[in-house]
Amino acid sequence: MVKQKVAIVATGQTKHRSRRRDVNISEMIYEAVKMALDEAQLTPKDIDAVVIGNMDHFEGINFSEMWTGIESAPGYLKPVVKVATGGTTGTSLAAYGYYAVASGMYDKVLVVGWEKINEGGATTGIVTAFDARWERPALAGALGPLALMASMYMWEFGVTPEQAAKVTVKNRRNAANNPFAHLQQPNMTVEEVMNSPVISWPLRLHDCCPQSEGACAIVYAGEGVARKISDNLAWVKGVDTGHYYTYGGDDVMHKYPAAKIASTRLYKKVGIRNPLKDLDVAEVYEPSSWAELMWTEALGFCEYGQGGKLLDEGVTEMGGELPVNPSGGVIATNPIGATALIRVAEAAIQVRGLGGKRQVPDVELALAHGFGGSVWADLMILGKEP
Amino acid sequence: MSEKKEEPFTINWLTDLPYRYALGPVASKFFRVLKESGKLLAIKCRKCGKVLFPPRSVCADCLVEMTVDDMVELSGEGSLDGFTVVNYPFVDPNTGETRPFPYGYGAIKLKGTDTWMLHFVDETDPGKIKPGMLVKAVIKPKNERKGTLEDIPYFRAVEKK
Repeated sequence: MVKQKVAIVATGQTKHRSRRRDVNISEMIYEAVKMALDEAQLTPKDIDAVVIGNMDHFEGINFSEMWTGIESAPGYLKPVVKVATGGTTGTSLAAYGYYAVASGMYDKVLVVGWEKINEGGATTGIVTAFDARWERPALAGALGPLALMASMYMWEFGVTPEQAAKVTVKNRRNAANNPFAHLQQPNMTVEEVMNSPVISWPLRLHDCCPQSEGACAIVYAGEGVARKISDNLAWVKGVDTGHYYTYGGDDVMHKYPAAKIASTRLYKKVGIRNPLKDLDVAEVYEPSSWAELMWTEALGFCEYGQGGKLLDEGVTEMGGELPVNPSGGVIATNPIGATALIRVAEAAIQVRGLGGKRQVPDVELALAHGFGGSVWADLMILGKEP
Repeated sequence: MSEKKEEPFTINWLTDLPYRYALGPVASKFFRVLKESGKLLAIKCRKCGKVLFPPRSVCADCLVEMTVDDMVELSGEGSLDGFTVVNYPFVDPNTGETRPFPYGYGAIKLKGTDTWMLHFVDETDPGKIKPGMLVKAVIKPKNERKGTLEDIPYFRAVEKK
């Protein structure tokens, strides 16, 4: 039961890059937390509860909330909960933080996602997330299954590698407008993507997301206090989550049924009839260029098989009818436990009109999407009005 | 005071973390049968009738419990519905060694099942792959089988382009 409406009142991010050897984990988290608290003009004592998360195995630290959630988050003598759901960690964090305020339990909740990926190994970390007997023997991290999905998608619908390459070109160009983005490549061309080494056919190097280190923080406030903190708010209109089956091959991966089901439910809840027209911007979690094409279909921006056409027509470009990933998306920036929370933070930035060079004009409704696990989907819609 | 920028300290940490996972009755039967007779089994939900691979004890759709009596034998043939060639270095968590690459990896719909098995395929040239082509599980000889998934080293692409 929703007991009160909830708004995002502030966000913070680090400048994401491949290595942050200059700071330890806690110090890195502090940068994002400080930025969010400063924006909200709140001090640690104003925060009622903290939700923090990352993927344990990437850094080999299985109890990270103990020292990150207390020292830098700042959860000292407060309720602290740690959430870890793979790629969707950030949107699960966002959903959980929202529940904590919407339930009326707390008024001001700080949500923090982070990853210091190059202190450990993403690939090994990802493999240990999968079933030891059935999936690990042949699995090689996330890219193998993402490549399988791309091949299934290409074979069924005839979408081309060039169309996928255009996603990278679009998103890395967008990233150049985002001061926090990791890979800022405004001049990347389709040829450059197509000539980059094949990592896992049909995925080429520039079809794949980078590994980034960084943190993201958002502050939620209940309707009673939100307007006292800021007069520029991003209201949570609705949240939905689709968790689907156990094993990667349990359903048609490239049609991403969890996102189809969850988005259909959420649009109905929020009163969206035509997502392409009703939404003003979307921040989607695209771990590969191909994935963005598939996700735009599963999220109902177009019919199945039409993702390439949607892109070719410029619909998802800046200035198009529904810009997708003005921030540059995951193909530009991927600090795993923060990645999906960045989608939410960037959607909030768009609704609040604070995007600077990456701002889409007149955003009323923004969609944030997280991808992970066994083809799971988390969704949040933010709006200008409560 | 030196003006030289100081390099931050890092520490390196290597570890060996051994685990042992209980498989439960359904998977135990699968691996026992694989080891003894070289056959593959899946499991059929008593309620919805879906045949699931890997075999498991609960159908997620129905929340219906299944037992070893619900297991069905497969031919080991399937269609190759998705394919990739993994072409990057990667530490295999089962061995701690870098897995030899490139190698073929496929989404295989085993005949008689409603799911896809993700496994090795003996082809590294995507040009030779036909979408949906017939593939066949290769099983190690009996004296080499250990009752693990490695007893199925790969699927062989039967009708190449």
